[in-house]
Amino acid sequence: MTDAQNATEVLRAHAENAYADELSALDAVDDRPRPPSWRLSPWAVTTYILGGTLANGVQISPKYLGSERLVEIAVASLATDRALLLLGVPGTAKTWLGEHLAAAISGSSTLVVQGTAGTPEEALRYGWNYARLLADGPSRAAMVAGPVMRAMETGSLVRVEELTRIPSDVQDSLITILSEKTLPIPELNEEVQARKGFNVIATANNRDKGVNDLSSALRRRFNTVVLPLPDSIDQEVEIVTTRVRSLGESLELPADLAALSEIRRVVTVMRELRSGVTQDQRTTIKSPSATLSTAEAISVMTNGLSLAAHFGDGTVRAEDVAASLVGAVIKDPVQDRVIWQEYLETVVRNRPEWKDLYRACRDLESSN
Amino acid sequence: MTDVHILGIRHHGPGSAHSVAEALASLRPDLVLVEGPPELDQVIPLVTDPEMVPPVAGLIYAVDEPRLASFYPMAAFSPEWVAIRWALSTGKSVRAIDLPAAHTFALRAAEGRALAALTGSEEEEPPAATPEDGGVPAAVAAKPADVVEDFPTVVEDSPTIPQQAYRPDAIGMLAEAAGYSDAERWWEDAVEHRNTDPVERFEDLIDAITEIRAIDQRPVDHPDVLENSRREAAMRRLLRAAMREGHERIAVVCGAYHAPALVPAGFPSVSADNKVLAGLPKAKVAVTWVPWTSNRLSLGSGYGAGVTAPGWYQHLFAHWMAKDPTKDVATTWLVRVAHALRKENLDASTASIVEASRMATALAAVRGRPSPGLPELDDAAQTVLCDGSPLPLALVHRELTVGRELGNVPDSVPTLPLAADLTATQRKLRMKPSAMEEVMVLDLRKPNQLARSVLLHRLALLGVDWGQLTDTGRTTGTFKEAWTLLWKPELAVSLVEASRYGTTVASAAATFVSEQAQAAEGLPVLSRLLESCLLAELPDGIAGVVSALAERTALQQDVPPLLETMAPLARTCRYGNVRGVDVSDVRKILQATVVRACVGLPTACAGLDDDAAGVMRRAIDSAQDGLSILPELPLGDWHIALSAVAHSDSIHGSVAGRATRLLLDAGLVEGNDVASRLSRRLSIATPAPEAAAWLDGLLSGDATLLIHDRRLLQIVDEWVEGVHDDVFEDVLPLIRRTFSTFSRPERREIGEQLSRVGSTGVAVESSPMDLSGAGPALQTMAKILGWKAIA
Repeated sequence: MTDAQNATEVLRAHAENAYADELSALDAVDDRPRPPSWRLSPWAVTTYILGGTLANGVQISPKYLGSERLVEIAVASLATDRALLLLGVPGTAKTWLGEHLAAAISGSSTLVVQGTAGTPEEALRYGWNYARLLADGPSRAAMVAGPVMRAMETGSLVRVEELTRIPSDVQDSLITILSEKTLPIPELNEEVQARKGFNVIATANNRDKGVNDLSSALRRRFNTVVLPLPDSIDQEVEIVTTRVRSLGESLELPADLAALSEIRRVVTVMRELRSGVTQDQRTTIKSPSATLSTAEAISVMTNGLSLAAHFGDGTVRAEDVAASLVGAVIKDPVQDRVIWQEYLETVVRNRPEWKDLYRACRDLESSN
Repeated sequence: MTDVHILGIRHHGPGSAHSVAEALASLRPDLVLVEGPPELDQVIPLVTDPEMVPPVAGLIYAVDEPRLASFYPMAAFSPEWVAIRWALSTGKSVRAIDLPAAHTFALRAAEGRALAALTGSEEEEPPAATPEDGGVPAAVAAKPADVVEDFPTVVEDSPTIPQQAYRPDAIGMLAEAAGYSDAERWWEDAVEHRNTDPVERFEDLIDAITEIRAIDQRPVDHPDVLENSRREAAMRRLLRAAMREGHERIAVVCGAYHAPALVPAGFPSVSADNKVLAGLPKAKVAVTWVPWTSNRLSLGSGYGAGVTAPGWYQHLFAHWMAKDPTKDVATTWLVRVAHALRKENLDASTASIVEASRMATALAAVRGRPSPGLPELDDAAQTVLCDGSPLPLALVHRELTVGRELGNVPDSVPTLPLAADLTATQRKLRMKPSAMEEVMVLDLRKPNQLARSVLLHRLALLGVDWGQLTDTGRTTGTFKEAWTLLWKPELAVSLVEASRYGTTVASAAATFVSEQAQAAEGLPVLSRLLESCLLAELPDGIAGVVSALAERTALQQDVPPLLETMAPLARTCRYGNVRGVDVSDVRKILQATVVRACVGLPTACAGLDDDAAGVMRRAIDSAQDGLSILPELPLGDWHIALSAVAHSDSIHGSVAGRATRLLLDAGLVEGNDVASRLSRRLSIATPAPEAAAWLDGLLSGDATLLIHDRRLLQIVDEWVEGVHDDVFEDVLPLIRRTFSTFSRPERREIGEQLSRVGSTGVAVESSPMDLSGAGPALQTMAKILGWKAIA
């Protein structure tokens, strides 16, 4: 089975499979110098992320809508041997950007360590195949290389998700890897030396600040890029539209997205609740505990899309988004509910063109 | 045949400056011409004075109308500065070529007149001279444009500023063609960072600009086109004259946009240029150097042709001129950034600087630039040194990227006597002008500090706002003054403007005050002037103001101005002696004013509407403030007038209420009396808004009255309860306004008392005073006051 077939059948294809044609088109025209073991030049990587039209007319779709500057900084960081730390509140496309960077630079985005509170040191270094270990004693054959070690051996990028969720002592095992570019294996009195092209992309959430803050020694080895929430409503609407459309295609939802107004409305609600003030800067409102990032807006819209496709006539209406919208806003059943009702009564109700949304949300309340 | 080289530059471009330096060194011309009005020739030789420290600006102003002024700022990295320095240090001649400022100002004044005529200004003077005479009426009825508005002409034409519809943005179009979004970055990459032969570099540029100029579609009579053609014709005329002098090689340093127009091969005929320049009006101008600041050079300060980062340009230029191959411009800059961060107590290790430097290089490669520029260095510093946060970098930006330099000019520059006097006084008082804002707290009991205060007050009178009076903090003493000092370059123009009043700060301020006194419209203006004279120690000025005042009070019919004059006059009487001013005349005027005001007060209070009543009330309050600081003044008339106002039912509630309150404070009305008046005024027959106004007049200020007199509070409470529903909404804001002036504890106290009243129906008597408990405090108090303790 080829990658292309694979890409249409799996629920979510890896970036390098989903955009294989774009990557190969870029590879074909890219005549700029490439850093050692990079699949593309930094210019081509930036184009892949930000989108554009190539000299031979091939369209590259934008993967990250936002500041060009930040993407350039990220790519330049990886071109030096400094690791990259993508920082931002949940839903600012940190993981998404990391995945595409890995796909474009190393041709593979599969080397991932998912950081959790229980991530052991083995996940960052290596484990053992205990049957072989007992049978043959310690040897390279009995070792199970972790993603980081494999990346070092192949000279590619490895991603560490949610770095700040990982316990501090485990985090610090990255220090040697990042500064000396070697992974010692004391059991065998050996070491793995990273090949050129190896680097780490880590993501961290600034909402979790203080959970397992990076030690300053580790922090110093990262170049930090802070990914912001979208500046303008238009930009955010565009992001949501693009993502919902591609998700809708991969989920094979027939519904159309002509109802752009619904997206704008959901994004407006999210932005207003997030910033604590209405778009016209006239009314102050309370902010709920939920993050209400762009990612939340995308999931609300996708949910609405699927409701409309399977239970409605295929057009997304207020009733379709209301349920998931309320679910996204109310994360704390007591306080957030009050905030949401306040918002509903003081803001939504006073907008004549939002009457349907108001009614849909009220219906939801009374049915509960 | 003269060999002419045109060096088209970008104003304040360090790369241009560097290229100009190289080009001059290889060309070795015997005459250097720089863009700028020929009037600058007089002061150009001063550039090599050892005391001349850039940034400085050439200041040209119209002698008769100093408001018409232009600055020609130059920093160490300005190409013009470099060219002038090169010529002077090698003994070559150097001259400025452009349309003479004499014409520019006269044209601008004429425009102002045309504008004034359009708007039908009455003060318009008939044009006294025709343009052919070259004369310009002395008082030009130009709109009162401040200096900033006709700010800097050198650079007004700078082609790098896209927002100016001045002429097509030549560099912007070139940059766009090269695929750059930012013209500055294109110039840095394509011209300034390129290492070709400096002379050829400029020749290539002329061709490019010629193309740009060719597509200008605007008609010849468009004001911008007209001005540009005049300026270029004037430049050519001066260039032709220089060529006739038989110089072998001439270098012309001018803005890139003008370069193609100055190539001798492409000159239009002499008569064509003469026609453009014929019959231009002329004004008399003077020229000098003034110190400038790097902040003023930056775009952020609203200076049209500014550069985004003077500090960075200074760094670039110093680096290029040092020609030290062991030093990297990016690394040295990042070292400075790290130092600035450490000064703010932020970590910035040496290893991080190395990483940041590599990061900047990589970033430049990603962006396809030959070497890292400021954006790359900023991004690298933010990512590596500041953990991705933009805040620490903002701290550095002001300090480093913009810079805080204030230039200096030698004493030998032609200055006005007034400016020289100011400099001498500043030196004597040890006050150094600085481009950084600083706060100076003065203790007026010390002679030196008093002198400083006097100087600042005098300057403030003259409109030279070097210092701003600020809050002294928690002290209520009158011997302290706090000033925020900030020297802005445009104050030089204010000084020039003020110089028509006199040759020293003291005499100019005195003349200014007497002139103002003659022209002043109302009494309050005069009395305020009187007060400023006092602060600025201008005994001569006071005499002028007092005589004007005596005259005006006799003629003044309106009562509120008379009342408002009383407070400043009283303050003059009270504190004038302290400052050594003879106040007997002032006292006479004050007494006469009080009598006049008292006689007119009751009638003047009749038939006032809400707004007029507000004015009257403020006037009465201010008069009361003034009178209260002169206890020896007989107040009988004043109180009689007030009680006439208070007793009349036909007078606006707000004024009558206020009069009642003042009488109550003076102990001339009994509490019972007030209570009955209050209840009458608040009774059902009085319209509620009027009642509320009266209440406001009575209560506003402080709440002690309500807190301590239960009867009053009860009456007010009952009245509020009884207000009819349909007027309640009208009354509510008035009452709210009254009570909102009370402090929070006062309001709480009132609220508590009211809740007690509500619960029992009658006012609860407060607990009897515990005299034995208060005994020690009373005894101490008595001791302080010098009384004998009784018990």
